[in-house]
Amino acid sequence: MVELRKVSVEYGEHHALHQVDLLVERGEFVFLVGTTGAGKSTLLKLLYGALKPTEGRIWVLGTEVNRLKPREIPTLRRQLGIIPQDYPLLPRKTVWENIAYALSAIGYNESAVRQRVAQVLARVGMSDRARYYPDQLSGGEAQRVAIARAIANRPPLLIADEPTANLDPETSWEIIDLLLQINLRGTTVIVSTHNRAIVDRARQRVVALDRGRIISDVPHAGYPVELDRLYPPIPL
Amino acid sequence: MIARLRFLWNETWQALRRNPLLQVASISTACVALVLVGVVGMTLYKLDAVAQMLPKQFETEVFLKFEATREQALELKAKLEAMPEVARVTLVPREQAWAEEQARLASEINLKDLPNPLPDKLVLATHQPDQLPAVAERIRQEPTVDEVIDQRETLRQVLATARLVRMVGLSAISLLLLSAILLIYNTVRLTIYSRQREVRVMALVGASLFTMRTPFILEGIVQGGLGGLVGATLVLVGAGLISDYTLQLWPFLRDLPPGLPPSLLLVSLPGLGALIGGLCAGWAAQRFVRV
Ligand SMILES: Nc1ncnc2c1ncn2[C@@H]1O[C@H](COP(=O)(O)OP(=O)(O)OP(=O)(O)O)[C@@H](O)[C@H]1O
Ligand SMILES: [Mg+2]
Repeated sequence: MVELRKVSVEYGEHHALHQVDLLVERGEFVFLVGTTGAGKSTLLKLLYGALKPTEGRIWVLGTEVNRLKPREIPTLRRQLGIIPQDYPLLPRKTVWENIAYALSAIGYNESAVRQRVAQVLARVGMSDRARYYPDQLSGGEAQRVAIARAIANRPPLLIADEPTANLDPETSWEIIDLLLQINLRGTTVIVSTHNRAIVDRARQRVVALDRGRIISDVPHAGYPVELDRLYPPIPL
Repeated sequence: MIARLRFLWNETWQALRRNPLLQVASISTACVALVLVGVVGMTLYKLDAVAQMLPKQFETEVFLKFEATREQALELKAKLEAMPEVARVTLVPREQAWAEEQARLASEINLKDLPNPLPDKLVLATHQPDQLPAVAERIRQEPTVDEVIDQRETLRQVLATARLVRMVGLSAISLLLLSAILLIYNTVRLTIYSRQREVRVMALVGASLFTMRTPFILEGIVQGGLGGLVGATLVLVGAGLISDYTLQLWPFLRDLPPGLPPSLLLVSLPGLGALIGGLCAGWAAQRFVRV
């Protein structure tokens, strides 16, 4: 489903990623953890073609992403649910219109849009907020809508970059729980986070990045001890 | 298909509405530029027509040798008429020329008793003014011809003036069009900038580059086209007023050839505007709307 082979990304002298190998199978749920600047966002951007690697090869859903021409990238993205780190809803559109907009942009006709928006809002538990504008939503609700928008086209792979940033612990868990449910229905999910509590609680595969290198990769794990050793938790 | 068209149109409409002030600025700049294009174009057209018309009045006078007979004159006339460049040839018999000359100078001197000093003369016009010099050169080779006065210098000056007018006009037009191009480009760039959130959503959900760029290109087409339409109207109204006024002042201007037909202006200015608007918007979209 996703494979990286000897992938490096350099910004000038700075190595954001260094010789990364990673394999994610269909149906997996993967946490990508690491401190700020470890390279999580960089790795995720590579998957949806927002960034070209300096070196190495990347396959996503059978497509070699590093070889795609700009013209070919939309075809790949239509099969991906993408939630980048900063991906606000369109402020002048309601919740409903935000999702309808995404679907219309990829050619859904009106009745298909109506049907799908209703389904997907029900899926994330936001049906009663359809007529709200983004500034009338809480952070968690807005994130649910962003997830709804990302899964609207039924992507087999969902990529979320720190979807729980700026959310309180309870809401963070609700969001992760939603992603786990989506995963249970067959969607492969890759989520980056540095939220220790949710990683510990979810017990899924955890890939730890540190300064551009993968330092551990454990199935059904909690927050990696390697990271704790490198960056001991600050006692409150 | 219909859903897709509706989406594109909605996006275009939103783009046009997003910054009404900017749109007005852009449309009016396109309008001003195209008005000037229209004005320069019309002036050029008129001047060109005048320049084309003027040399027609220059005819070559071919003076035959004094000893040439009337038969030889008629023979030469027939020969000249056979040349493909020659439009018409008139024979002015020496008796007639002398009579006219006497009449013209009658109040000053009495020429009645003098012998006729004039030779027979042929007056010749070519189809195109610039064919005149070459034809004159050939006629000079004729044994019966004494002298050919071809107004070469005057003609050269008129043609040079026409060339100059054309050159200045064309460079003014290209300068104005360039500024219109840059302005529309910039407005579309700013619209793209103000709609980057939408562009980003489209890019991330996998909308095609065509879907992402077309609304901005349509925006440019609308700006240029509207500018051209308003411009054409202004030019026509203005030209009407000015020509009424100048005709009052100088009625002889009525004899000038007619200007550009209004329908041509009403089609070509908006068309030109839309074309230019579409091209620069496409250029901006290509640069700033990326996946
Ligand atoms: N466009 C860029 N130009 C230069 N350096 C960059 C650029 N983008 C990222 N970097 C650098 O690459 C490294 C990895 O960045 P990345 O955004 O992947 O980190 P991250 O793990 O997502 O961090 P965070 O948890 O803060 O989101 C950082 O050191 C960052 O400064
Ligand atoms: Mg990041």
